[in-house]
Amino acid sequence: MSQSYNTSPPSVTKRYLILNKDEDNVALALEELMPGDLIQFDQSSSNIQVKQHIEFGHKFAIREIRRGDYIVKDGEIIGQATSDISPGEHVHIHNVQSLRASMLKNIRT
Amino acid sequence: MKQDLQGYWNDDGKAAVRKYVVALSLSSFCNEAVERICDSIAGITPLTHAFGRNEIGLNKQRLDSSLLKTPLNPNVDSVLVVGYEPKSTNEYIAQFKRRSKKRIESVVLLEAGTLETIHQGSKKALDLVVSSSEKKREKIDFHDLVFGLKCGGSDTTSGVASNPALGVATDYIIENGGTAIFSETTEIIGAEHILAKRASDESVAKRIYAVARANEELAMSFGVDLIGTNPTPDNIKGGITTIEEKSLGAILKSGTSRIKGVLDYEQEPPGKGLYFMDSPSAAQAVLTALAAAGCQVILFSTGTGNPVGTAVAPVVKITANPHTVLKMGEHIDIDISQVLGGKIGIKEAGMQIIDGVIEIINGKITKAEALKHREFAPLPAGL
Repeated sequence: MSQSYNTSPPSVTKRYLILNKDEDNVALALEELMPGDLIQFDQSSSNIQVKQHIEFGHKFAIREIRRGDYIVKDGEIIGQATSDISPGEHVHIHNVQSLRASMLKNIRT
Repeated sequence: MKQDLQGYWNDDGKAAVRKYVVALSLSSFCNEAVERICDSIAGITPLTHAFGRNEIGLNKQRLDSSLLKTPLNPNVDSVLVVGYEPKSTNEYIAQFKRRSKKRIESVVLLEAGTLETIHQGSKKALDLVVSSSEKKREKIDFHDLVFGLKCGGSDTTSGVASNPALGVATDYIIENGGTAIFSETTEIIGAEHILAKRASDESVAKRIYAVARANEELAMSFGVDLIGTNPTPDNIKGGITTIEEKSLGAILKSGTSRIKGVLDYEQEPPGKGLYFMDSPSAAQAVLTALAAAGCQVILFSTGTGNPVGTAVAPVVKITANPHTVLKMGEHIDIDISQVLGGKIGIKEAGMQIIDGVIEIINGKITKAEALKHREFAPLPAGL
Protein backbone atom coordinates (compact mmCIF):
# COMPACT_ATOMS: atom_id res chain seq x y z
CA MET A 1 0.00 0.00 0.00
CA SER A 2 1.51 3.33 -1.00
CA GLN A 3 0.68 6.16 1.31
CA SER A 4 1.30 9.84 1.23
CA TYR A 5 0.62 11.85 4.32
CA ASN A 6 -0.02 15.48 3.58
CA THR A 7 1.67 17.54 6.25
CA SER A 8 1.32 21.03 4.76
CA PRO A 9 0.79 23.93 7.17
CA PRO A 10 -2.86 23.92 8.29
CA SER A 11 -3.48 27.49 7.29
CA VAL A 12 -3.25 26.61 3.60
CA THR A 13 -4.97 23.27 3.43
CA LYS A 14 -6.54 20.69 5.71
CA ARG A 15 -4.88 17.31 6.22
CA TYR A 16 -6.14 14.28 4.35
CA LEU A 17 -4.94 10.86 3.22
CA ILE A 18 -5.22 9.21 -0.18
CA LEU A 19 -4.07 5.60 -0.14
CA ASN A 20 -3.83 4.97 -3.88
CA LYS A 21 -3.51 8.14 -5.92
CA ASP A 22 -4.15 6.47 -9.27
CA GLU A 23 -7.22 4.40 -8.47
CA ASP A 24 -9.04 5.85 -5.46
CA ASN A 25 -12.08 8.11 -5.75
CA VAL A 26 -12.19 8.87 -2.01
CA ALA A 27 -9.80 10.33 0.54
CA LEU A 28 -9.81 10.23 4.35
CA ALA A 29 -10.08 13.38 6.45
CA LEU A 30 -7.22 13.42 8.94
CA GLU A 31 -8.87 16.29 10.76
CA GLU A 32 -12.40 17.62 10.99
CA LEU A 33 -13.38 19.37 7.74
CA MET A 34 -15.90 22.21 7.40
CA PRO A 35 -17.76 23.42 4.29
CA GLY A 36 -15.46 25.73 2.35
CA ASP A 37 -12.21 24.12 3.50
CA LEU A 38 -9.66 23.68 0.76
CA ILE A 39 -7.98 20.37 -0.09
CA GLN A 40 -4.87 20.79 -2.15
CA PHE A 41 -3.64 17.71 -3.95
CA ASP A 42 -0.24 18.51 -5.25
CA GLN A 43 1.68 21.58 -6.21
CA SER A 44 0.42 21.72 -9.79
CA SER A 45 -3.18 20.69 -9.96
CA SER A 46 -6.61 21.58 -8.82
CA ASN A 47 -8.02 22.05 -5.38
CA ILE A 48 -11.16 20.54 -3.98
CA GLN A 49 -13.60 22.51 -1.89
CA VAL A 50 -15.19 20.60 0.95
CA LYS A 51 -18.98 20.76 0.61
CA GLN A 52 -20.12 19.39 4.00
CA HIS A 53 -19.02 18.85 7.57
CA ILE A 54 -16.76 15.79 7.51
CA GLU A 55 -15.61 14.19 10.76
CA PHE A 56 -12.08 13.01 11.49
CA GLY A 57 -11.53 9.66 9.76
CA HIS A 58 -14.51 9.97 7.40
CA LYS A 59 -14.30 9.82 3.61
CA PHE A 60 -14.95 12.49 1.00
CA ALA A 61 -15.07 12.20 -2.78
CA ILE A 62 -12.06 13.35 -4.78
CA ARG A 63 -13.59 12.66 -8.19
CA GLU A 64 -17.08 12.82 -9.70
CA ILE A 65 -18.94 9.66 -8.69
CA ARG A 66 -22.14 8.55 -10.44
CA ARG A 67 -24.92 6.51 -8.92
CA GLY A 68 -23.93 2.84 -9.38
CA ASP A 69 -20.16 3.54 -9.55
CA TYR A 70 -17.90 1.55 -7.26
CA ILE A 71 -16.31 3.38 -4.35
CA VAL A 72 -12.57 2.63 -4.55
CA LYS A 73 -10.22 3.03 -1.57
CA ASP A 74 -6.63 1.76 -1.58
CA GLY A 75 -7.28 0.27 -5.00
CA GLU A 76 -10.07 -1.96 -3.69
CA ILE A 77 -13.85 -1.80 -4.10
CA ILE A 78 -15.51 -0.98 -0.78
CA GLY A 79 -19.09 -0.45 -1.95
CA GLN A 80 -21.40 1.07 -4.54
CA ALA A 81 -22.72 4.65 -4.76
CA THR A 82 -26.48 4.91 -4.28
CA SER A 83 -26.58 8.48 -5.61
CA ASP A 84 -24.36 10.90 -7.54
CA ILE A 85 -21.53 12.33 -5.41
CA SER A 86 -19.43 15.42 -6.25
CA PRO A 87 -15.82 16.05 -5.21
CA GLY A 88 -15.71 17.40 -1.65
CA GLU A 89 -18.91 15.64 -0.57
CA HIS A 90 -19.13 13.24 2.37
CA VAL A 91 -19.08 9.57 1.33
CA HIS A 92 -20.70 7.27 3.87
CA ILE A 93 -23.75 5.11 4.65
CA HIS A 94 -26.21 7.68 3.29
CA ASN A 95 -24.85 7.37 -0.26
CA VAL A 96 -23.00 4.01 -0.31
CA GLN A 97 -24.22 0.45 -0.04
CA SER A 98 -22.31 -2.77 0.57
CA LEU A 99 -22.09 -5.34 -2.21
CA ARG A 100 -21.87 -8.25 0.24
CA ALA A 101 -24.20 -10.04 2.66
CA SER A 102 -26.89 -7.69 1.57
CA MET A 103 -30.57 -8.06 0.80
CA LEU A 104 -30.39 -4.91 -1.32
CA LYS A 105 -30.11 -5.38 -5.03
CA ASN A 106 -27.13 -4.18 -6.99
CA ILE A 107 -27.80 -0.80 -8.53
CA ARG A 108 -27.44 -0.91 -12.28
CA THR A 109 -26.05 2.17 -14.02
CA MET B 1 16.75 -3.85 19.64
CA LYS B 2 16.80 -5.61 23.00
CA GLN B 3 15.33 -9.08 22.67
CA ASP B 4 15.34 -10.50 26.16
CA LEU B 5 12.12 -12.44 26.75
CA GLN B 6 11.44 -13.85 30.19
CA GLY B 7 8.58 -16.23 30.90
CA TYR B 8 7.54 -19.25 32.88
CA TRP B 9 7.99 -22.87 31.83
CA ASN B 10 4.83 -24.61 32.98
CA ASP B 11 4.34 -28.22 34.03
CA ASP B 12 3.42 -29.17 30.47
CA GLY B 13 6.70 -27.85 29.08
CA LYS B 14 5.04 -24.86 27.46
CA ALA B 15 6.21 -21.26 27.75
CA ALA B 16 3.92 -18.83 29.54
CA VAL B 17 3.92 -15.07 30.10
CA ARG B 18 1.80 -15.25 33.26
CA LYS B 19 1.20 -17.82 35.99
CA TYR B 20 -2.51 -17.42 36.65
CA VAL B 21 -4.33 -19.59 39.19
CA VAL B 22 -7.94 -20.10 38.13
CA ALA B 23 -11.13 -21.23 39.86
CA LEU B 24 -13.33 -22.85 37.20
CA SER B 25 -17.06 -23.26 37.59
CA LEU B 26 -18.33 -26.32 35.69
CA SER B 27 -21.93 -25.19 35.99
CA SER B 28 -23.65 -21.85 36.56
CA PHE B 29 -24.92 -23.34 39.86
CA CYS B 30 -21.35 -23.09 41.11
CA ASN B 31 -20.71 -19.49 40.05
CA GLU B 32 -21.51 -17.97 43.41
CA ALA B 33 -19.16 -20.33 45.26
CA VAL B 34 -16.38 -19.60 42.75
CA GLU B 35 -16.85 -15.84 43.13
CA ARG B 36 -16.74 -16.05 46.93
CA ILE B 37 -13.58 -18.20 46.85
CA CYS B 38 -11.96 -15.58 44.62
CA ASP B 39 -13.00 -12.88 47.08
CA SER B 40 -11.37 -14.78 49.95
CA ILE B 41 -8.05 -15.54 48.29
CA ALA B 42 -5.88 -13.00 46.49
CA GLY B 43 -4.40 -13.79 43.10
CA ILE B 44 -6.98 -16.25 41.81
CA THR B 45 -9.11 -15.65 38.70
CA PRO B 46 -12.78 -16.75 38.53
CA LEU B 47 -14.02 -18.51 35.39
CA THR B 48 -17.82 -18.42 35.58
CA HIS B 49 -20.46 -18.69 32.85
CA ALA B 50 -24.18 -19.12 32.21
CA PHE B 51 -24.12 -22.79 31.17
CA GLY B 52 -23.25 -26.26 32.42
CA ARG B 53 -26.55 -28.07 32.70
CA ASN B 54 -28.41 -30.12 30.08
CA GLU B 55 -26.51 -28.93 27.00
CA ILE B 56 -26.60 -31.40 24.11
CA GLY B 57 -25.01 -31.88 20.72
CA LEU B 58 -22.89 -29.11 19.25
CA ASN B 59 -23.66 -26.77 22.15
CA LYS B 60 -22.28 -29.32 24.63
CA GLN B 61 -19.24 -29.85 22.45
CA ARG B 62 -18.54 -26.12 22.32
CA LEU B 63 -19.01 -25.63 26.05
CA ASP B 64 -16.89 -28.67 26.95
CA SER B 65 -14.16 -27.37 24.66
CA SER B 66 -14.03 -23.96 26.39
CA LEU B 67 -14.17 -25.48 29.87
CA LEU B 68 -11.32 -27.88 29.15
CA LYS B 69 -9.08 -25.76 26.95
CA THR B 70 -9.19 -22.48 28.84
CA PRO B 71 -7.33 -23.79 31.91
CA LEU B 72 -5.01 -25.70 29.54
CA ASN B 73 -3.72 -22.33 28.28
CA PRO B 74 0.01 -22.21 29.15
CA ASN B 75 -0.54 -19.02 31.20
CA VAL B 76 -2.58 -21.02 33.74
CA ASP B 77 -0.31 -22.49 36.40
CA SER B 78 -2.87 -24.43 38.47
CA VAL B 79 -6.62 -25.00 38.63
CA LEU B 80 -9.37 -25.28 41.22
CA VAL B 81 -12.46 -26.90 39.71
CA VAL B 82 -15.85 -26.39 41.36
CA GLY B 83 -18.29 -28.91 39.90
CA TYR B 84 -21.96 -29.44 40.63
CA GLU B 85 -22.29 -33.24 40.80
CA PRO B 86 -19.60 -35.88 41.26
CA LYS B 87 -19.84 -37.93 38.02
CA SER B 88 -19.34 -35.11 35.54
CA THR B 89 -16.78 -33.42 37.81
CA ASN B 90 -14.69 -36.61 37.97
CA GLU B 91 -14.98 -37.07 34.20
CA TYR B 92 -13.73 -33.52 33.72
CA ILE B 93 -10.75 -34.10 36.01
CA ALA B 94 -9.86 -37.36 34.27
CA GLN B 95 -9.97 -35.62 30.88
CA PHE B 96 -7.86 -32.75 32.17
CA LYS B 97 -5.24 -35.09 33.63
CA ARG B 98 -4.95 -36.92 30.30
CA ARG B 99 -3.98 -33.61 28.68
CA SER B 100 -1.97 -31.86 31.39
CA LYS B 101 0.37 -32.36 34.33
CA LYS B 102 -0.77 -29.11 35.97
CA ARG B 103 -1.98 -29.20 39.53
CA ILE B 104 -5.75 -29.51 39.67
CA GLU B 105 -7.88 -29.52 42.84
CA SER B 106 -11.66 -29.86 43.06
CA VAL B 107 -14.76 -29.43 45.17
CA VAL B 108 -18.21 -30.86 44.40
CA LEU B 109 -21.06 -28.57 45.45
CA LEU B 110 -23.76 -31.25 45.71
CA GLU B 111 -21.66 -33.08 48.30
CA ALA B 112 -21.19 -30.05 50.53
CA GLY B 113 -23.58 -27.20 49.89
CA THR B 114 -22.48 -23.76 48.75
CA LEU B 115 -21.06 -22.54 52.08
CA GLU B 116 -18.96 -25.64 52.71
CA THR B 117 -17.83 -25.53 49.07
CA ILE B 118 -16.62 -21.98 49.62
CA HIS B 119 -14.78 -23.08 52.76
CA GLN B 120 -13.08 -26.14 51.26
CA GLY B 121 -12.43 -24.38 47.95
CA SER B 122 -10.79 -21.40 49.64
CA LYS B 123 -8.42 -23.64 51.58
CA LYS B 124 -7.40 -25.46 48.40
CA ALA B 125 -7.11 -22.18 46.51
CA LEU B 126 -4.83 -20.77 49.22
CA ASP B 127 -2.49 -23.69 48.78
CA LEU B 128 -2.45 -23.33 44.96
CA VAL B 129 -1.77 -19.60 45.09
CA VAL B 130 1.14 -19.93 47.54
CA SER B 131 2.66 -22.72 45.47
CA SER B 132 2.35 -20.85 42.14
CA SER B 133 3.89 -17.72 43.60
CA GLU B 134 7.22 -19.52 43.94
CA LYS B 135 7.64 -19.99 40.21
CA LYS B 136 10.40 -17.88 38.65
CA ARG B 137 10.85 -16.42 35.18
CA GLU B 138 13.39 -17.91 32.78
CA LYS B 139 14.45 -17.29 29.22
CA ILE B 140 11.83 -17.85 26.51
CA ASP B 141 11.68 -16.87 22.86
CA PHE B 142 9.21 -15.79 20.19
CA HIS B 143 9.20 -19.32 18.79
CA ASP B 144 7.77 -20.55 22.10
CA LEU B 145 4.75 -18.26 21.84
CA VAL B 146 1.40 -18.10 20.06
CA PHE B 147 -0.08 -14.65 19.52
CA GLY B 148 -3.76 -13.95 18.99
CA LEU B 149 -4.61 -11.02 16.70
CA LYS B 150 -7.80 -9.03 17.02
CA CYS B 151 -9.19 -5.68 16.04
CA GLY B 152 -12.19 -4.11 17.74
CA GLY B 153 -13.94 -0.76 17.96
CA SER B 154 -12.53 -0.24 14.48
CA ASP B 155 -12.65 3.07 12.72
CA THR B 156 -10.75 4.27 9.68
CA THR B 157 -7.56 4.80 11.73
CA SER B 158 -7.55 1.03 12.28
CA GLY B 159 -7.36 0.33 8.55
CA VAL B 160 -4.77 2.98 7.71
CA ALA B 161 -2.51 2.90 10.76
CA SER B 162 -2.96 0.52 13.70
CA ASN B 163 -3.74 -2.61 11.65
CA PRO B 164 -0.89 -2.14 9.14
CA ALA B 165 1.48 -1.41 12.04
CA LEU B 166 0.25 -4.54 13.81
CA GLY B 167 0.85 -6.36 10.51
CA VAL B 168 4.50 -5.30 10.66
CA ALA B 169 4.68 -6.68 14.21
CA THR B 170 3.01 -9.92 13.07
CA ASP B 171 5.56 -10.33 10.27
CA TYR B 172 8.33 -9.84 12.83
CA ILE B 173 6.82 -12.49 15.12
CA ILE B 174 6.52 -15.01 12.26
CA GLU B 175 10.04 -14.26 11.01
CA ASN B 176 11.34 -15.00 14.52
CA GLY B 177 9.69 -18.41 14.61
CA GLY B 178 6.52 -17.42 16.44
CA THR B 179 2.91 -18.31 15.66
CA ALA B 180 -0.05 -15.98 15.17
CA ILE B 181 -3.78 -16.52 14.76
CA PHE B 182 -6.19 -13.95 13.31
CA SER B 183 -9.94 -14.53 13.29
CA GLU B 184 -13.50 -13.16 12.95
CA THR B 185 -14.85 -14.66 9.76
CA THR B 186 -17.34 -11.85 9.11
CA GLU B 187 -14.37 -9.54 8.76
CA ILE B 188 -12.81 -11.32 5.84
CA ILE B 189 -15.94 -10.83 3.72
CA GLY B 190 -14.86 -8.56 0.87
CA ALA B 191 -11.17 -9.38 1.32
CA GLU B 192 -11.08 -13.13 0.64
CA HIS B 193 -9.27 -12.63 -2.67
CA ILE B 194 -6.36 -10.92 -0.93
CA LEU B 195 -6.08 -13.65 1.73
CA ALA B 196 -6.43 -16.49 -0.76
CA LYS B 197 -3.35 -15.22 -2.63
CA ARG B 198 -1.38 -15.70 0.58
CA ALA B 199 -2.66 -19.21 1.28
CA SER B 200 0.12 -21.77 1.59
CA ASP B 201 -1.75 -24.09 -0.78
CA GLU B 202 -4.93 -24.52 -2.83
CA SER B 203 -6.88 -26.28 -0.08
CA VAL B 204 -6.26 -23.43 2.36
CA ALA B 205 -7.39 -20.91 -0.26
CA LYS B 206 -10.58 -22.91 -0.83
CA ARG B 207 -11.26 -23.06 2.91
CA ILE B 208 -10.90 -19.29 3.20
CA TYR B 209 -13.58 -18.72 0.57
CA ALA B 210 -15.75 -21.46 2.05
CA VAL B 211 -15.82 -20.16 5.63
CA ALA B 212 -16.51 -16.60 4.45
CA ARG B 213 -19.35 -17.78 2.24
CA ALA B 214 -20.81 -19.90 5.08
CA ASN B 215 -20.69 -16.89 7.38
CA GLU B 216 -22.46 -14.70 4.84
CA GLU B 217 -25.16 -17.34 4.34
CA LEU B 218 -25.58 -17.79 8.08
CA ALA B 219 -26.30 -14.08 8.49
CA MET B 220 -28.77 -14.11 5.62
CA SER B 221 -30.46 -17.26 6.94
CA PHE B 222 -31.46 -15.28 10.01
CA GLY B 223 -33.25 -12.97 7.59
CA VAL B 224 -30.96 -10.07 8.34
CA ASP B 225 -28.44 -8.13 6.34
CA LEU B 226 -25.10 -7.75 7.99
CA ILE B 227 -25.93 -4.09 7.47
CA GLY B 228 -26.96 -2.88 10.90
CA THR B 229 -24.86 -5.39 12.78
CA ASN B 230 -21.53 -5.21 10.98
CA PRO B 231 -20.15 -2.55 10.66
CA THR B 232 -21.39 -1.70 14.16
CA PRO B 233 -22.70 1.74 15.17
CA ASP B 234 -19.30 2.69 16.65
CA ASN B 235 -17.51 1.56 13.46
CA ILE B 236 -19.91 3.72 11.43
CA LYS B 237 -19.44 6.74 13.66
CA GLY B 238 -15.69 6.22 13.20
CA GLY B 239 -16.07 6.41 9.42
CA ILE B 240 -16.28 2.77 8.29
CA THR B 241 -19.08 2.49 5.72
CA THR B 242 -19.33 -1.17 4.62
CA ILE B 243 -18.23 -4.65 5.73
CA GLU B 244 -15.86 -4.75 2.74
CA GLU B 245 -14.14 -1.57 3.91
CA LYS B 246 -13.90 -2.97 7.42
CA SER B 247 -12.51 -6.31 6.23
CA LEU B 248 -9.93 -4.78 3.91
CA GLY B 249 -8.64 -2.79 6.88
CA ALA B 250 -8.95 -5.68 9.32
CA ILE B 251 -6.87 -8.23 7.39
CA LEU B 252 -3.87 -5.89 7.37
CA LYS B 253 -3.13 -6.88 10.95
CA SER B 254 -2.17 -10.36 9.68
CA GLY B 255 0.89 -8.97 7.89
CA THR B 256 2.21 -10.51 4.69
CA SER B 257 3.25 -14.07 5.52
CA ARG B 258 1.71 -17.22 4.08
CA ILE B 259 -1.45 -18.46 5.75
CA LYS B 260 -0.70 -22.02 6.86
CA GLY B 261 -4.27 -23.11 7.52
CA VAL B 262 -7.81 -22.36 8.66
CA LEU B 263 -8.49 -23.48 12.24
CA ASP B 264 -11.85 -24.45 13.69
CA TYR B 265 -13.19 -22.58 16.70
CA GLU B 266 -10.74 -23.00 19.63
CA GLN B 267 -8.53 -25.37 17.63
CA GLU B 268 -4.83 -25.26 18.50
CA PRO B 269 -2.54 -24.52 15.56
CA PRO B 270 -0.88 -27.76 14.34
CA GLY B 271 2.42 -26.02 13.67
CA LYS B 272 4.20 -22.68 13.68
CA GLY B 273 3.37 -19.74 11.45
CA LEU B 274 0.24 -17.73 10.60
CA TYR B 275 -3.27 -19.22 10.86
CA PHE B 276 -6.84 -18.00 10.46
CA MET B 277 -9.49 -19.17 12.94
CA ASP B 278 -13.09 -19.48 11.75
CA SER B 279 -15.03 -17.66 14.44
CA PRO B 280 -17.85 -15.19 15.17
CA SER B 281 -17.11 -11.53 15.83
CA ALA B 282 -18.24 -10.93 19.41
CA ALA B 283 -15.01 -9.78 21.07
CA GLN B 284 -15.41 -11.56 24.39
CA ALA B 285 -16.10 -14.86 22.58
CA VAL B 286 -13.23 -14.50 20.11
CA LEU B 287 -10.74 -13.68 22.87
CA THR B 288 -11.98 -16.71 24.83
CA ALA B 289 -11.52 -18.88 21.73
CA LEU B 290 -8.02 -17.55 21.00
CA ALA B 291 -6.98 -18.17 24.61
CA ALA B 292 -8.49 -21.68 24.49
CA ALA B 293 -6.43 -22.36 21.36
CA GLY B 294 -3.32 -21.61 23.41
CA CYS B 295 -2.51 -17.96 22.70
CA GLN B 296 -0.27 -16.65 25.48
CA VAL B 297 -0.67 -13.02 24.34
CA ILE B 298 -3.39 -11.30 22.32
CA LEU B 299 -2.61 -8.17 20.29
CA PHE B 300 -5.70 -5.99 19.89
CA SER B 301 -5.80 -3.04 17.53
CA THR B 302 -8.57 -0.53 18.26
CA GLY B 303 -9.84 2.69 16.69
CA THR B 304 -12.48 4.05 19.01
CA GLY B 305 -11.26 2.08 22.01
CA ASN B 306 -12.43 -1.12 23.66
CA PRO B 307 -12.12 -2.29 27.29
CA VAL B 308 -12.43 -6.05 26.83
CA GLY B 309 -9.86 -8.52 28.14
CA THR B 310 -9.87 -12.26 28.68
CA ALA B 311 -9.35 -14.32 31.82
CA VAL B 312 -6.22 -16.31 30.91
CA ALA B 313 -4.23 -14.15 28.49
CA PRO B 314 -3.05 -10.51 28.55
CA VAL B 315 -4.79 -8.47 25.85
CA VAL B 316 -2.55 -5.66 24.54
CA LYS B 317 -4.54 -2.66 23.28
CA ILE B 318 -3.00 -0.66 20.46
CA THR B 319 -4.44 2.50 18.90
CA ALA B 320 -3.42 5.10 16.34
CA ASN B 321 -6.40 7.37 17.08
CA PRO B 322 -5.25 10.42 19.09
CA HIS B 323 -8.82 11.17 20.29
CA THR B 324 -9.08 7.66 21.73
CA VAL B 325 -5.78 8.08 23.56
CA LEU B 326 -7.35 11.08 25.33
CA LYS B 327 -10.86 9.72 25.87
CA MET B 328 -10.21 6.01 26.51
CA GLY B 329 -6.56 6.19 27.55
CA GLU B 330 -7.12 3.99 30.59
CA HIS B 331 -7.75 1.13 28.15
CA ILE B 332 -4.76 1.75 25.86
CA ASP B 333 -1.38 0.01 26.27
CA ILE B 334 0.45 1.16 23.13
CA ASP B 335 -0.15 4.57 21.50
CA ILE B 336 1.01 4.89 17.89
CA SER B 337 -1.07 7.95 16.99
CA GLN B 338 2.11 9.67 15.78
CA VAL B 339 1.66 7.73 12.54
CA LEU B 340 -1.30 9.91 11.55
CA GLY B 341 0.69 13.05 12.22
CA GLY B 342 3.28 11.79 9.73
CA LYS B 343 5.90 11.78 12.50
CA ILE B 344 6.63 8.05 12.32
CA GLY B 345 6.07 5.55 9.56
CA ILE B 346 4.16 2.29 9.68
CA LYS B 347 7.33 0.19 9.96
CA GLU B 348 8.61 2.18 12.90
CA ALA B 349 5.20 1.99 14.59
CA GLY B 350 5.25 -1.78 14.09
CA MET B 351 8.57 -2.06 15.91
CA GLN B 352 7.24 0.18 18.70
CA ILE B 353 4.48 -2.38 19.07
CA ILE B 354 7.05 -5.19 19.34
CA ASP B 355 8.96 -3.23 22.01
CA GLY B 356 5.75 -2.68 23.99
CA VAL B 357 4.69 -6.31 23.63
CA ILE B 358 8.05 -7.56 24.91
CA GLU B 359 7.60 -5.45 28.06
CA ILE B 360 4.19 -7.01 28.59
CA ILE B 361 5.47 -10.52 27.93
CA ASN B 362 8.13 -9.88 30.57
CA GLY B 363 5.56 -8.92 33.20
CA LYS B 364 4.33 -5.36 32.62
CA ILE B 365 0.61 -5.45 33.38
CA THR B 366 -1.89 -4.63 30.65
CA LYS B 367 -4.69 -2.13 31.31
CA ALA B 368 -7.25 -4.91 30.80
CA GLU B 369 -5.62 -7.04 33.50
CA ALA B 370 -5.28 -4.08 35.87
CA LEU B 371 -8.92 -3.07 35.32
CA LYS B 372 -10.01 -6.67 36.01
CA HIS B 373 -11.38 -7.25 32.50
CA ARG B 374 -11.23 -11.02 32.77
CA GLU B 375 -14.02 -11.95 30.37
CA PHE B 376 -14.69 -15.67 29.93
CA ALA B 377 -17.33 -16.28 27.26
CA PRO B 378 -17.95 -19.79 26.00
CA LEU B 379 -20.36 -19.47 23.09
CA PRO B 380 -23.13 -21.83 22.00
CA ALA B 381 -23.10 -22.96 18.39
CA GLY B 382 -24.77 -21.03 15.60
CA LEU B 383 -23.75 -17.48 16.48
